[in-house]
Amino acid sequence: MAKGKYLRGASRRSILQQFGAAAVGISFSGGLAACGKGGGEARKLNFYNWDTYIGETTLDDFKAASGVEVTMTKFANNDELFAQFRGGNKGYDVIVPSNEYVTRMSQAGLLMELDRAKIPNFSNLSPEFQDAPFDPARRYSMPYTWLTLGIGYRKNKVQGVPDSWRWLFDSNRYSGRIAVLGESADLIRLCAKYKGHSLNNISETVLSEIEQMLIRQKPHIKAFHEDDGQDLLVSGEVDIVMEYCGDIAQVIADDPEIGWVIPNEGTLINQDCLCIPVGAPNPDDAHAFINYLLDAEAGKKISEAIQYPTPNAAVRALMPDAYKNNPVIFASAEIMAKSEYGAFEGDERSRRFEEMFTRISAA
Amino acid sequence: MSRVAREKPGPLEYHRRWPLQLIVGATFFFLYFPLIILMVFSFNDSRRNIVWQGFTFDYYEKVFKNAELIEAFGNSLTIAFFCTIISVILGALTAVMLWRFRFPGKTAVEGAMALPIVVPEICMGVAMLVFFAKIMPWPSGMPWPLNLGAIIIAHVSFAFPFVATVVRARLASFNRELEEAAKDLGASEWRTFWDVLVPHMQPGLIAGALLAFTLSLDDFVITFFTAGPDTITFPVKVYSMLRFSVTPEVNAASTILIVVTVALTAIGLHLQNQSENKKLKP
Amino acid sequence: MEQTWRQARGAFAAIAAPPLVWLLLFFLVPLGVIWAYSFGENVGPITIDLTGTFANYMRALEPLYLGIFGKSVIVAGVTTLLCLLVGFPVALAIAFASPRMKAWLLLLIMLPFWTNLLIRTFALIAVLREQGYVNFGIEWFWNLASSARELVGMAPLGDYEPLTLLYNNAAVIVGLVYVHLPFMVLPLYSALDRMDRSLMEASLDLGAGHLRTILLVVVPLAAPGIASGVLITFIPALGSYLTPDLLGGTDSQMIANVIERQFKKANDWPFGAALSFLLMYLTFFAIAAQALIQRKPGRR
Repeated sequence: MAKGKYLRGASRRSILQQFGAAAVGISFSGGLAACGKGGGEARKLNFYNWDTYIGETTLDDFKAASGVEVTMTKFANNDELFAQFRGGNKGYDVIVPSNEYVTRMSQAGLLMELDRAKIPNFSNLSPEFQDAPFDPARRYSMPYTWLTLGIGYRKNKVQGVPDSWRWLFDSNRYSGRIAVLGESADLIRLCAKYKGHSLNNISETVLSEIEQMLIRQKPHIKAFHEDDGQDLLVSGEVDIVMEYCGDIAQVIADDPEIGWVIPNEGTLINQDCLCIPVGAPNPDDAHAFINYLLDAEAGKKISEAIQYPTPNAAVRALMPDAYKNNPVIFASAEIMAKSEYGAFEGDERSRRFEEMFTRISAA
Repeated sequence: MSRVAREKPGPLEYHRRWPLQLIVGATFFFLYFPLIILMVFSFNDSRRNIVWQGFTFDYYEKVFKNAELIEAFGNSLTIAFFCTIISVILGALTAVMLWRFRFPGKTAVEGAMALPIVVPEICMGVAMLVFFAKIMPWPSGMPWPLNLGAIIIAHVSFAFPFVATVVRARLASFNRELEEAAKDLGASEWRTFWDVLVPHMQPGLIAGALLAFTLSLDDFVITFFTAGPDTITFPVKVYSMLRFSVTPEVNAASTILIVVTVALTAIGLHLQNQSENKKLKP
Repeated sequence: MEQTWRQARGAFAAIAAPPLVWLLLFFLVPLGVIWAYSFGENVGPITIDLTGTFANYMRALEPLYLGIFGKSVIVAGVTTLLCLLVGFPVALAIAFASPRMKAWLLLLIMLPFWTNLLIRTFALIAVLREQGYVNFGIEWFWNLASSARELVGMAPLGDYEPLTLLYNNAAVIVGLVYVHLPFMVLPLYSALDRMDRSLMEASLDLGAGHLRTILLVVVPLAAPGIASGVLITFIPALGSYLTPDLLGGTDSQMIANVIERQFKKANDWPFGAALSFLLMYLTFFAIAAQALIQRKPGRR
């Protein structure tokens, strides 16, 4: 699947989210893998990752370097990952939740504290990624990649560059040709951004304004998509769509008529992190694997394959200019200054967002 | 006889009357047109299925090189196979029980049997997650196919009430006197069941088996919550591939699935016809 | 006549034990846990206290959720009706075909359903979207008509504007019919097959037309099959969420979408459980109603 230069795929938080998917790869290790060490038995590791989110040879290279065989299984979105782990760890050693879910899972006691001594490659990370608001002092997580939300559009169907969230949330200019991500928290937070507020700690007044605005806008929106917005754009079903940077970058490679812009108001940043869940059968090997993924050469191969922005300074230094200076991959400093991570503000808040979305859909 | 019939449809040969043929034809068109497009585009030399770019076998090559996909496929068929057998047995017993006996709490049992049909999939998935996590942990790392046990159990739980519903509808047309006659003539419970009731149930059993097989093969939500890192099924795998976009590789895998099923069923039908012919000519 | 279980204790035990034990252990116990959750409260990110509260049900009965329930019932009802209208003639044709034909027709009905649900839905999208084959077909006729007009000296038609066939409630219903048709055809077939055909022949001999015979003789005889077909079509349709998600527009959400979000994004299992059970209670009303219909002919 993760062949070649195609960026990580279509619907990161796609369809599956509705469906609760996650590819569970082949491995016969399960809980028994722990006994592998020392004896003649092969050492094994279960890696639970997003699809097409690894270098082509990374797992084989790690096996050659350490003798540990990594079995990668895939999940589709954070909600599913969390729901699965509510039922206990079924034998995974390393998982890749996004920022909000790092907080959520660590608060729920589902993550193991990392032993920094076993991850010397931590020093490869850019200073701004060595700490994180969602995981103070990086106790539970190591950054793997980060990504932004923005607007994908068909160049000959829009006027100029649609560089404001207005065209999605508060305008009938592209009536019936709009699709936005049907992900309550992201949608509401970006609406707050559009209205000039922070996307965290949104006040009740602003929330009800957003609800009114989206209900007003709903007739102009064709679909709340399941992170398959780039497919809608490519097939000409819509002309302007809210999507993740990588998904749009992927289709730009196929279809040069498609453009990408992060609106001037700023956007929401996500970070996907390497974590070890509680109950991991092989925590030592898991640390070694995380350390390996943060290695400069190994990280370079991953970034070449997945084309996502890397938080790793040593990796970035090795990458060609076509990657380093690609505006779809790395947003400008000016935009980044206006953008924020979405913080996990407690379960009550997520429930509030969900109820709002239900009301908007039902209106 | 068939030659005569070919000239003019008999009164009850509904499949040979044009209004019905039209409806059946339109239905099959509705069912198959999208699938034929899918199969055609599995040979399309483009990642995006909008316009035809040229013929290629590349995606089939990729499917055959994709060991995970093939393993997932094998798991799915294994699960569906066991699920169908167990579901047909349990479903048939349920149908006979409800049809034949009066017993205290019958209404409650009928209601409980309807539950698996009624329960939203996600709710059942979470129920199975909690069950296999907290109440009856299924040991991980069991040898194949025992590692699929939890998924098979979960599939049977939602599939066998469907079988029961279909078989019971079939039993409604059974003449109970036949059963009584068999018993009066000295047949045992078992022989009566096997020689009188089962043959009558047969179309219901076949329909039920098809239904159970389909439900199991297609289930994703409940499987997802029941599966661990060592059990992947075809739907679960396909969903992770589709996330990436509807590539011709997925179309190729589906095409293979369709072709394999048609082939297996054709062989099955052929064998059945042969054995029936043998019965006719002892 | 039905036997009482006392008349044949051994047989009853042998027949009833396996399904009942299975149902209890592998279905009622897991579901019971979720049922208990519906009376619980979230006290931590992954902890639920079983406090016996009715708050989740009170919330589920708010007009917002009742409205979504109502809408889902309508969508599932229309789907079931369409499935019945299409499925009945198809089942009739299969039931009266020759044995060999019968096997093949049954296989043809089932075959699409051995293709993954999501793959099928995407196949349907590829056909129905603006740059899909339905629109391509209409465009072809449009252009043909346009050139025909030119030939006779009239102004050609303008450019073809593709029809929007997806992302609305009609698309959801088409998708649901596409997915649920075999659930209707199979029980209908199983009821129609080996139905007492002499009654039909009698009706035809006495001069009733085919339509009259089907409506007045076949349909009543097939009533149990129709009831079970309606039941196993309506209920899954009511609980579907993939189809509304992929084919629906901004107002196509169904109750199962809401339930699914409670178990995942909202991380509110007690409320998700309450909504699920409310859905089940509602469906039980439907089943009870159907049971009444089913019993009537038997009592004559």
